[in-house]
This record gives sequence, structure tokens and C-alpha cells, in this order.
Amino acid sequence: MILVCGIPSETPLRMVTSNLERMGAQFALLNQRASPRCQLWFEVNDGEISGELQIAERTYPLQEFTAVYPRLMDDRFLPELSDELPDSPLRQHCRSFHDTLMRWMEIAPALVINRCAPMASNSSKPYQAQLIRAQGFRVPETLITNEPELVREFRAKHGRVIYKSISAVRSIVQELNDEDERRLERIRWCPVQFQAFVEGTNLRVHTVGGEAFATAVRSEATDYRYAARQAGEPAELREVTLSSELSEKCVRLSQALGLEFAGIDLKVTPEDEVYCFEVNPCPAFSYYEANTGQPISAAVARRLASASARAAAA
Amino acid sequence: MWLVLCSASDASGVWACEGLRQLGVGPIELVLSEHLAFGCRWEHRLEGSSTQFRVTLPDGRVLCTSRIRGAINRLLSPAPGIEQQAAISDREYAQAELQAFYLSWLQGLPGVVINRPGSMGLCGPWFHISEWVCRASRAGLKAPAYRQTANGTTERGYASLAPEGAATTNVIAFRGEIYGGRVAEPVVRACARLAQEARTELLGIELFAGENGEWMFASATPCPSLAIGGMPLLHSLARALTQGASS
Repeated sequence: MILVCGIPSETPLRMVTSNLERMGAQFALLNQRASPRCQLWFEVNDGEISGELQIAERTYPLQEFTAVYPRLMDDRFLPELSDELPDSPLRQHCRSFHDTLMRWMEIAPALVINRCAPMASNSSKPYQAQLIRAQGFRVPETLITNEPELVREFRAKHGRVIYKSISAVRSIVQELNDEDERRLERIRWCPVQFQAFVEGTNLRVHTVGGEAFATAVRSEATDYRYAARQAGEPAELREVTLSSELSEKCVRLSQALGLEFAGIDLKVTPEDEVYCFEVNPCPAFSYYEANTGQPISAAVARRLASASARAAAA
Repeated sequence: MWLVLCSASDASGVWACEGLRQLGVGPIELVLSEHLAFGCRWEHRLEGSSTQFRVTLPDGRVLCTSRIRGAINRLLSPAPGIEQQAAISDREYAQAELQAFYLSWLQGLPGVVINRPGSMGLCGPWFHISEWVCRASRAGLKAPAYRQTANGTTERGYASLAPEGAATTNVIAFRGEIYGGRVAEPVVRACARLAQEARTELLGIELFAGENGEWMFASATPCPSLAIGGMPLLHSLARALTQGASS
């Protein structure tokens, strides 16, 4: 049995559940918006993990779940809680439910796409970059500092420089310009990350288990996710085939980070050098699938179902 | 130069620094998280295959990659209060940025670093007690049953599982050896396996006496009181730092 958790109408989740339905795979859908009415407990006893999840009228033994696909939003912002006071019993129940679910997923003897611990490498981009580099990828030259003078020198050396958040908090990648340079004194209280701009073609590689799906992205924007805003026209996406060497390298990188499913951001320079910017542990793959027709959600569903089938056979 | 990174309230970190200095580990610098709070000049670079780090502390000391030979890392979080400099709406973001920055520069420290940082904690993994219980069982330690429910009354977080009034003992596992409390050989081996399983070079483990007198797992921490291990641990730390075996 597969457990899928999240908002059923969210596009990536909907794509995966549609594929599971098409495949005839057995799965339970935990609608996060119904979590105020759900119950959950688990127990660890002599290393054995057991428990129960109650969704509506049905109760599932947790031991039945052999694969889990969580795409959970921050429970504090569930619409069902919008009228609740910060410490209302319903809010407390929801928080506790999600915490219990997360704790169970971390230790469950099931395939979880993905667990929190390996996802956490993405909480620090330069930390993750050091792990990426250890797997043989180039990473952009990076400076993190609170010294304006060092930033000016860095820009003078590299010409084009971008800045972005150090943490996983989403930020729009921006190119450092003269106006930014004039307000550099503001970085003194908190170090900021700057990177040499890398010319080339953006590639997003989704890895699922041992499979890799590569999408080339053509855009004049510094951050192609915001291409319409930054460059006046949306990015163009097309499926590309990676060399087997690069494809295997991407799969190895995901495995080294402990990720079953990942979105790897690469850039290939005109000199054919491959730079890796980051590995997204919870990729919103639907944007790429919708634009290219690549069967990423089917691969995720297959991976979940195969773990489930293996467990049933055992 | 070796570093001991800890907070001003970490008495055993301060004790270890002084002890290591007396054992001839030098030069050794005590760097308190409070020293890193305000007025520091930070420079952290990723270039080619190298990672560089340089910080000039408000007292004029300069710590930089080329001079650092290793560290005892007991930093739990970025310098307290620094995010308070930010506007209220930016504080959560500032906190995340600082945490991410610390994780990266600590990862880039050269030489022997005890403990290396990881995505689950700046000085080693801070697993939830439910995960420690699973790991302890896998390592061969007896552990009490752990139960958590969405009703919220049984969540133990990171707290000890030792029942109130139970006799407890604390040990430190470091590179396969156990320091501190005296426990039977199978428990020693299981504690060493737990540290190995958690990929944590130095791990503090709290045990409590179960009903039949056998030691059971109560909690674990990558930042234990080093005084538990006393001078034998300090000698081992000194050897590890100065002999430069990889960490």
C-alpha cells in the first residue's frame, strides 16, 4: 500500500495520483486539508515500528504502508485553520498530527520520497554545494561576506555577479548592478551570498530512482522561474538527452544526498563544462512535465509502486 | 591553530579548551558563539575545489582556513540575538540565512573537526528521540518503548526517556572507545555502534537502569558535557587533533 499526503488538487500530487490510478496501484490519499479530522499514532518497541492512521472512517495500520509520497504544505496556513486562534485546540491537533506524521516518516521501514533528513542538505546552498562538488560537479565561484569591499572586488574580477539567499528560503536570483552596489553597506549586519555568473544553457535534471529526465531551458532571464517578469517572455523548455556519463553522475549525486527524487539545476557552458547550482529535494516537476511531456510523474508513481510490489512479494 | 567553538555557557567546552592547552595542543583558541555575534568581518569562498573561510573577530583575532588545523565544534546555533538586528518581518529569514551560513563555513573547516556539522545540526545530528530509539535498538541497546500520538500529550521531543528517579549513567563514545560511566562490555560495544550508526564521531549517551538492572537507552547528544569523559577523553581528543587523522 502506498500513502500519498498533501493537497489532492496540487498539480504535482495530482499527476502522481493520476498515474497511480492508471497503474491500478493501491494507495491511500491523506488530504492535508482533512487533517483536522484525522488521527495518528505510532510506537517503537524493540526496534519494531507500528501504529495507525485514521482517515475519515477508515483506519490503516502503518505497517501496511511500504511507500510514502509526502508533498505537505505548512499546516499553519491550511485554509481550514484560517479562523482559528494561534493556540486553539484544532490548531494544536493539526500541529501535533503533522509532527507525528513527520516523525513516523523519518523512521518508517518504507520507501519515502523524500525523508526530511536528506532534504535538509538544501537548507544551506553553499553547504550543499560542497557536497555536490565532492561528487565531481563544478560549482560556481561563490563569495559569502558582510564586507562591501570584497563584493566590489569580486564583481570587478568576474564582471557579472548574481546574489541569492544562502538558505532554502526562496529568493529571486538577481544580477548585482550599480544600484545594488551603492547600497552594499546594508550587508554588514548579515553575510550575503554572491556568485560568479555562469554563461550557458540551463538544464533541469529530475532523477527518480535510477532514471534521469533532462529539460533544457532557454531564457534571457537571470532566474528563469521568473522569466516573464525579468526578461519579458516566458522560458522555453525542451526535452534533451544527456550523455550516459552525465546522466549517471546526476543519479549518483541524488543517491549521495540520500534523495529518491530530486531536481538538479545544471548549467552547461559553451565550453561544455557542467556546473551544478543546487539539488532541489522537493521539485515542483509539473512545470517541466507540462511543457515537455516528459513522464516524470509516471516515474515517481512507478518507483512508489515498485517498492510496494517488492514488499508484497517479500 | 586549533579552535574550540562553543558558547559562553558551555562550561565543559571552556574546560576542554584549557585542558587541551595544558596537554600541549597549541596554539588553541577559544571562540565563543558570542564572539561571533557582532562586529565580525566574514569572508567565505568556494573556489574550484577549495573552500576558504576567514573571520576577523571584534577583538582583532583572525581565524582563517590556511592556519586552522582542526576544531572541537560545539556550536549549537548562530550567535544568539544577531537576527534581532533585522526588522521583525525579516527575522525568520535572517535566522535561516545565518543558520545556513554557519553550516557552510563549519563544513569548510579543515583538519580534524569533532564533530563535523551536518544538515541535522551544526555540531552533529540532533535526531528526535523516536529516531534515537530506533537507532539505539539497531545498535543493540535496550530501549524503552516510545509512543507518539496526534493527540499531542506524549510527544517527547528531544527529552530523556529515563523514568523519574531511575539511576542513570552517562558515557561518551569517541572513535570506537567509551569514556565516562562504567558499563558492561556488550553495552560498551552497543554504544560505540550507536555513534557509528549515527555517523557521529563524538556522541554522549545517557543510560538508565531498567527494572532488571540492565542499562537501557535514555537519550543521546552530539554535544555532551566533555567532563563526563574526564582526562582520558581529553587525552584522546588531544591525540586526535594533533595526529590529524581524518574526521
